[in-house]
Amino acid sequence: MRKQRTAFFLLLPLLGVTALVLAACGFVLAQSLGHVPAFGLEELTFSYYLAIFRDGEFLRSLGVSLGIAAASALLAALLGTAVCAALTVGGRKGRGLTYVLRLPILVPHAVVALFTILLFSQTGLLARATFALGLIGDFTQFPQLLYTPGYQGAVAAYLWKEVPFVAYFTLALMSGVSDTLGEAAEDLGASPLRSFFSVTLPLSLPAVCRATLIIFIFAFGGYELPLLLGATVPKALPVEAYLAYMSPQLRDRPYAMAMYGVILALSVAMAALYAVLTRRLLRRMEGSGHE
Amino acid sequence: MSRKAFSRLVLGVTAVCVLAPAALLLVWSVTGRWPWPRLTPETYSLRTLRELLLGSGGFLPLLGSSIALAGATAALATAVALLTARATAFYSFPGRGLARFCGILPLLVPGTVLAMGLHLAFLRLGLADTVVGVLLVHLVSALPYCIAILTDVTAAVGLALEEQAAVLGAPPLTAFRGATLPRLAPGILSSMSMAFTISYSQYFSTLLIGGGRVRTLALVLVPYIQSGDRPLAAAYAAVFTGSALLVFALFEWAIRRMERRGAL
Repeated sequence: MRKQRTAFFLLLPLLGVTALVLAACGFVLAQSLGHVPAFGLEELTFSYYLAIFRDGEFLRSLGVSLGIAAASALLAALLGTAVCAALTVGGRKGRGLTYVLRLPILVPHAVVALFTILLFSQTGLLARATFALGLIGDFTQFPQLLYTPGYQGAVAAYLWKEVPFVAYFTLALMSGVSDTLGEAAEDLGASPLRSFFSVTLPLSLPAVCRATLIIFIFAFGGYELPLLLGATVPKALPVEAYLAYMSPQLRDRPYAMAMYGVILALSVAMAALYAVLTRRLLRRMEGSGHE
Repeated sequence: MSRKAFSRLVLGVTAVCVLAPAALLLVWSVTGRWPWPRLTPETYSLRTLRELLLGSGGFLPLLGSSIALAGATAALATAVALLTARATAFYSFPGRGLARFCGILPLLVPGTVLAMGLHLAFLRLGLADTVVGVLLVHLVSALPYCIAILTDVTAAVGLALEEQAAVLGAPPLTAFRGATLPRLAPGILSSMSMAFTISYSQYFSTLLIGGGRVRTLALVLVPYIQSGDRPLAAAYAAVFTGSALLVFALFEWAIRRMERRGAL
């Protein structure tokens, strides 16, 4: 039995970091409940939350951010799983591509925003190609994909970064399952397709789901991409919250913090939902194993 | 469609989608004029390079400070992650599950909220607008990834060799340095490169907590993109990404070398 005291000392730096994270959340929540002593606000109240939920602009921002996060996370999961499956099937030859896949993980979001502008803006490469093919007569006829309330540009940029992330994140588990249980299923007469969809894919789902959750939380709270590629109205929630924070009206501070509070609460709720669902799924899988 | 054909198609499309924007960026960074509706630039120019190196932006000091900050984050995050990984992999104690949860906690708090909260905390602690404050927020952002990488590696390497060295009389630190550290080295390097990238790309947290006093490449790139000078923004982005890739390639090369030496 190794000494517990040593473990405690080894964990001290992590405890410090955890204290910082909890303090950060605490400050945001306290100010969102109206506790900003520096501005002479002391009384705790839910009124700032109630007020922003009656504000149409905030609700539209919330919708935009939820939409960006859901679209990016789900599409990235779907496409990323397909890429991962292709890598698993491709065997050793495809492994050179893992280097290519790591590129988007390394490239900063602001640079990805620039990629998106160079490709998808109305004078971007795609618009020029469409013109060269004679499909449009003028750049104004190319559909607006950037700076729109639909935030297609931001989602496209997230996908460029996150599809490879899902593939990379899932690859170890999926290729492990495929080499062992997937092969076994095929040896027992399952078609490759059947073996993939009934054995390899379900057993790889934990990694896919974890990656999806990480992307959802990241995109929901992301700032640069909606700032650089999004519409002026409605703004994404993190952009709107920062704008409210920068407001010269110091007494507006709790409204900004309430927006951050909503971002935090929904992210934690998503993580909790994920934890409950995966636990139930695991129990069901174990249960069906005993039948 | 056969399995191999499907695989090749998907991988081919993926490679093109990943690489094409990067190629487009490189072309734009040396573009002089590229009017609508031409498919290729009309003129090429090295204006952007001149402005980067000789302009008033102070590019080279900026590059240096960004690399130094990311390097410090990488070293610090990896050291903390290494200690955490050892504690949770080799010791059993009440609250071990909680310690593991603390390791992923920063992932559950979105980056903008984390940065804002830490900013409020740092205002109290006198760390706002300081390099230390920025370093700390980068550390918190990178740590969960480093812990995930190093926990796996630490568990895989195990304790057996280190305990043998201890039985033979080596003091604990010597046993760790001689028996375990060399075999952890590839994991340590991949943790460092992950933390480096995360710190290098931080925008919002550096903006908020650095308060404009701490300047990094990521920070100055955004206004260039907003300014609409595409060649200059592209040149900035290309050098920014290129330098990150270069550092990454160095780490990768070091990992390879160590693995080869370890295999002998």
